[in-house]
Amino acid sequence: MSLRANNYYKATSLDDAYQKLKDNPKNAIIAGGLWMKKTGLSYETLIDLSELHLNEIKVNKDEIHVGALVTLRDFETNPEIKKLNGGATSFGVSEVVGPAFRNTATIGGSIFGRFPFSDVIASLLPLDVTVKLYPEQSYSLEEFLNIKGKVDGILTEIVIKKEEGKGYFHKVKATSLDFAMVNISISKRNNKHYIAVGSRPLVASLARKAMIEADKGDFKEAARLAAEELSYLDSNNISKAYRQDLVKVYVLRGLEEVNK
Amino acid sequence: MKLQFFLNGTDVVWDVRPDEYLSNALRRHGIFSIRVGCDESICGSCTVLVDEKPVLSCSVLAITVNGKHVTTVEGIQEEVARLSHFFGEEGANQCSYCGSGMAIIIHALKKEYKNPTDEQIRDFMVGNICRCTGYHSQFKAIKAYLAEGK
Ligand SMILES: Cc1cc2nc3c(=O)[nH]c(=O)nc-3n(C[C@H](O)[C@H](O)[C@H](O)COP(=O)(O)OP(=O)(O)OC[C@H]3O[C@@H](n4cnc5c(N)ncnc54)[C@H](O)[C@@H]3O)c2cc1C
Ligand code: FES
Ligand code: FES
Repeated sequence: MSLRANNYYKATSLDDAYQKLKDNPKNAIIAGGLWMKKTGLSYETLIDLSELHLNEIKVNKDEIHVGALVTLRDFETNPEIKKLNGGATSFGVSEVVGPAFRNTATIGGSIFGRFPFSDVIASLLPLDVTVKLYPEQSYSLEEFLNIKGKVDGILTEIVIKKEEGKGYFHKVKATSLDFAMVNISISKRNNKHYIAVGSRPLVASLARKAMIEADKGDFKEAARLAAEELSYLDSNNISKAYRQDLVKVYVLRGLEEVNK
Repeated sequence: MKLQFFLNGTDVVWDVRPDEYLSNALRRHGIFSIRVGCDESICGSCTVLVDEKPVLSCSVLAITVNGKHVTTVEGIQEEVARLSHFFGEEGANQCSYCGSGMAIIIHALKKEYKNPTDEQIRDFMVGNICRCTGYHSQFKAIKAYLAEGK
């Protein structure tokens, strides 16, 4: 598959990019362009944001600001990102295909796409992450994933709150280059647990009842709840029941891991 | 569209379509070391360096390398000859379709890690599929190549 396009346009500002996007429903922002290649759609104009300095990771005392065009590889190898969630966030992102792929795929494209199988989204969801858009809008990652219909805007950056914590990420896959059958991502910080389950095959969600049970220290019950409270579906290579069994096992392992 | 970039150190100007992939543009200009195995961003046989970083040439639009440095195996001939020696010693090449992508990713691995662990080597190579060798002989060849001169 390959995308098709009649024009390629380098935006000079966010406003310029947004106006161009609005000009024609067949115009689109292109980031790494990997997913756009896979879907093979036709566009009138591809809008490139590479002149807008969105490929930087900036760190201050409390937050990490990650520009939309930061590649997955630059993200996962950044020393501040490696410290997050005991290394689990960086590890989760490193589970996407190979390094050459991750040198092109971006954080912005990965989050804006809201892909159900996404290891990137699952890795980030248990953290305190804000998604920023132009024209100015700001959502928690969870809110962003729950926006109904098409999102209107350009993703400019995500902001991750720096917090000490322990983490766990596990992607269940048939082969090393495959999409996840399920991905489980856990963070424990300030004595609270955050549990995300993705690729169910629905987009990652927080298992809130399981999180409450985990805070009380009943990890088995938390794992059982995580397998029950979220929606799971059958897909080609894996049944709903098997997915739920996997979640029970790996949520328990993850909770034990972050409480070692 | 006009595309200006440096191909293995030489300044070139080509005409490309806005939706033309780099692999296609390179092959159209006679760089046949670029092999398009899957055309699905998965197999790694089309890997090239863009500003010293490995990327999948089947999956990046040619126009995005404007002003940048692109390196194919033609640009790292000496290194490829050394690597071929170790691949030969270990019987790590059969059809060699994956070979140029492998050479590029191994070049990048060597640049990125001084003393990579076995796990780091495996993780770095995961996106380069070889349908012939079963990887063990390649892994041994890579280790021998990286150990050379240490
Ligand atoms: C073969 C293949 C295998 C994959 N395997 C995995 C996997 O195992 N795990 C995993 O987590 N992911 C996987 N992915 C997804 C991948 O990691 C990226 O999430 C995906 O490629 C999107 O990133 P991109 O930069 O290429 O986005 P693009 O393809 O450029 O864009 C994706 C979408 O987002 C829009 N967009 C991009 N950036 C912005 C922005 N800043 N603002 C507004 N809209 C924007 C585009 O218009 C497009 O609709 C896979 C993808 C492919 C093609
Ligand atoms: S041909 Fe490019 S990844 Fe397979
Ligand atoms: S030697 Fe044939 S694909 Fe690798």
